[in-house]
Amino acid sequence: MTKHQGTLEIEGYVVECLRNAMFTVELENGHRVLAHISGKIRKNYIRILPEDRVLVELTPYDLTRGRITFRYRT
Amino acid sequence: MDTKRSDSGPSSMIVARVADEQWHVLEDDLVVGRGHSMRRPDGRLFISIDAWRSAAFDRLAEAMLADLPAPLYTVVDEAHTELAADWHRAGFTVRRREWEFVLPTDPLITGLAAARPPSGVRIIPVGEADRDLLRVLDRAIRAEVEAGAGWQSMPAEAHPRPQGVTLVDPARYAVAAASDRYLGLLRLVTATRRPRIGLIAVLASEHRRGIARALLSHVLGTMHLSGTASASAEADESNKAAVALLEGIGGRRMSRSLELAR
Repeated sequence: MTKHQGTLEIEGYVVECLRNAMFTVELENGHRVLAHISGKIRKNYIRILPEDRVLVELTPYDLTRGRITFRYRT
Repeated sequence: MDTKRSDSGPSSMIVARVADEQWHVLEDDLVVGRGHSMRRPDGRLFISIDAWRSAAFDRLAEAMLADLPAPLYTVVDEAHTELAADWHRAGFTVRRREWEFVLPTDPLITGLAAARPPSGVRIIPVGEADRDLLRVLDRAIRAEVEAGAGWQSMPAEAHPRPQGVTLVDPARYAVAAASDRYLGLLRLVTATRRPRIGLIAVLASEHRRGIARALLSHVLGTMHLSGTASASAEADESNKAAVALLEGIGGRRMSRSLELAR
């Protein structure tokens, strides 16, 4: 886990793609969060699938919500 | 790093352009939002904003719109209603809607087992096409698109190229071929775990002969034999023929992307 100018970034695996443009991601610490795809990823038409390894930025306002900022090539 | 700062509005948020294509909004020295811009190969300028609160989004949008020349574009998932509302508030309107489909590969589900190419046409598998003939077909199809419906109704990732530039990699294409020329193509992207069909196109003079279905039958059937259960494809909502083709082989609508412009 890294701390980057007030935000937390942590790796995880996509568990489920939900119908409301959100994903359930299990973080490496075992916690599960609801995450959106970042606009930067969507702008590049990168698709996220279950089991993808991703980097999630957690909001400082609600640690159960996050934003997928990177998809690793696995 | 060339940093340009602006401080507008009543709150303590400060927007800083931290690079040519990157903006931050800071509150109490913490980054609470980021904006990016990117010029796509077709020359259009796309932007994105990631912020945890609408106030930060609005501040970034204000700064980026002031810094960048119109028109500007962005992409959102229609189901992400809060983000779509943020963009609408910034003056962006829907320019196109595109469905993502998940396609089965099993011929028993797609109904493509009997889809054979028409007489005199054969399917050349991915990776085996002749580069020169493929380039000729690519140019012909692009000319037809530009003279007809235009790129607006093509998948968002299929876009015009600068004049005279034709880049085709046979490793990504299956082709429908007559004895002396190519008639249609299917571009396949296999970099991800679920392969993506990036483009299916047939020369206008060869439409309604079942060539697109034959290309799909070959490519999806090959995936099925190799153990891949599904593929994805996109179709612009206005392209009724493409939507009918994908739904006709059992494609399921998964999500809808909105391309917004201002």
